[in-house]
Amino acid sequence: MVKYLDMKKKLISCFLIIIFIAFIAFILIKNHISGDLQRQLQSISGGADKYTSTSIDLFDTKTDIVGYSDSEEQFAKDSKVIIDKLTYYNRIYDIYNDYEGVNNVKTINDNAGVAPVKVDKELIDMLKFGKQMYYETDGRINIAMGSVLSIWHNYREAGLDNPKEAKLPSKEELEDAAEHTNIEDMVIDEKASTVFLKDERMSLDVGAVAKGYAVQQALDYARSKGMDNILLNVGGNISCIGGRTDGSKFMVAIQNPDLESDEPYVEAFEIEDGECVVSSGDYQRYYEVDGKKYCHIINPDTLFPSDEFAQVSILAKDSGVADGFSTALFNMSLEDGKEFIAGYKNVEAMWVMPDGSKVYTQGFKNYIK
Amino acid sequence: MKRNDVILIACLLIICGLLFAGMKFWQKRNTDADAYVEVNVDGEVYATYPLNEDRVERIEYDNGCYNVLEIKDGKANVTEASCPDQICVRHKAIHYSDETIVCLPNKLTITVVGGNQNQIDATTN
Repeated sequence: MVKYLDMKKKLISCFLIIIFIAFIAFILIKNHISGDLQRQLQSISGGADKYTSTSIDLFDTKTDIVGYSDSEEQFAKDSKVIIDKLTYYNRIYDIYNDYEGVNNVKTINDNAGVAPVKVDKELIDMLKFGKQMYYETDGRINIAMGSVLSIWHNYREAGLDNPKEAKLPSKEELEDAAEHTNIEDMVIDEKASTVFLKDERMSLDVGAVAKGYAVQQALDYARSKGMDNILLNVGGNISCIGGRTDGSKFMVAIQNPDLESDEPYVEAFEIEDGECVVSSGDYQRYYEVDGKKYCHIINPDTLFPSDEFAQVSILAKDSGVADGFSTALFNMSLEDGKEFIAGYKNVEAMWVMPDGSKVYTQGFKNYIK
Repeated sequence: MKRNDVILIACLLIICGLLFAGMKFWQKRNTDADAYVEVNVDGEVYATYPLNEDRVERIEYDNGCYNVLEIKDGKANVTEASCPDQICVRHKAIHYSDETIVCLPNKLTITVVGGNQNQIDATTN
């Protein structure tokens, strides 16, 4: 009997030791593998070094320029050219601030019903693009909706400053403002290079297209200056020239709209030269009233924030189109959005529903595979 | 047999100890010892903190606003802030080279320097 107990003890200790050895082996192998992965990731940058510059002075958001360059000086020179260009666009597209000697969108708004304002061709081009977006999206994007958007802007700012007192604008207030959103009242005189808002109560809000449009202009300019291997990310409006210097492509990710999740991204994929990606969602800029979220994207039909989706992402060849269409799709039902996007070659979409499930166009799926 | 039991327990304890030391060693090797975050306020370098030392820093501004930066397990995160939009607080913890957390209202940027390279070049938001 005693002998039997001894045997049992020996078996148990043997068993324990085996478990420990297995555990040590597991840890060693795991670390070995992750070390390999680390080295692999490091080699991705290839010969030239990777540089990043971050700016927080543009378009009320974060701007990153990522470049693979032989020297830091070269990268600093290139990124300054792009930043200078974006700074210019930021000023002329600004609806909140005045700049010495600059006529911008705010100047146009301030002169609504008063007088035409002489502006740069770059601003007229953007407004024309905005008008074109209005027609293409059947009014789902309306840059002449400033009167409605400014009401929401003010309620949101007040609600964020004082969450306990957060309120919703009344339907009457919104409908009254919506009487002054006719895009045809924005009169562009290209010969005289002026813009005039006929309706004194109307105002322009170019938030749905200006950032993406500026990204496209800045990258086109950079390309004309011979820049290569550079990626631009202005508040999530992403596009690039070329790829990494080792021949691989730039890798972009789509942020997970569920910020509580441990998964930071819902998709990650490589983009080709000139490809543009952008997401619209309800998870970054919003305020809460009685525990319900109200995001910054306002549906022109209902005059209230859209809540059909957590996020819509667009893949396109033009950053302005990508920016505008992501907002437009955010303001459509899934069915309407699918039908709308099917009419465009080279524009693909991905929807994340409020429950986290994902819907892709076939082209989007093929692209990220 | 009592003596053997003691030997067995001692052996197991030693193995445990070795294992723990080994794990710590590997952990150190895997987090880049040189990585640090650079904290910028209004374009000026405010401070730098190594990523391999856990700490909590309260960054305060003249106007009474603040951000709380926490460094834990090799990652930097903003855990609390006075800003109304709270975008910096909702941002994920960062540890890859050149990753940044930004607080626009407080003109704050926190950037990782010298960490491991992220394979992802840009993220939508």
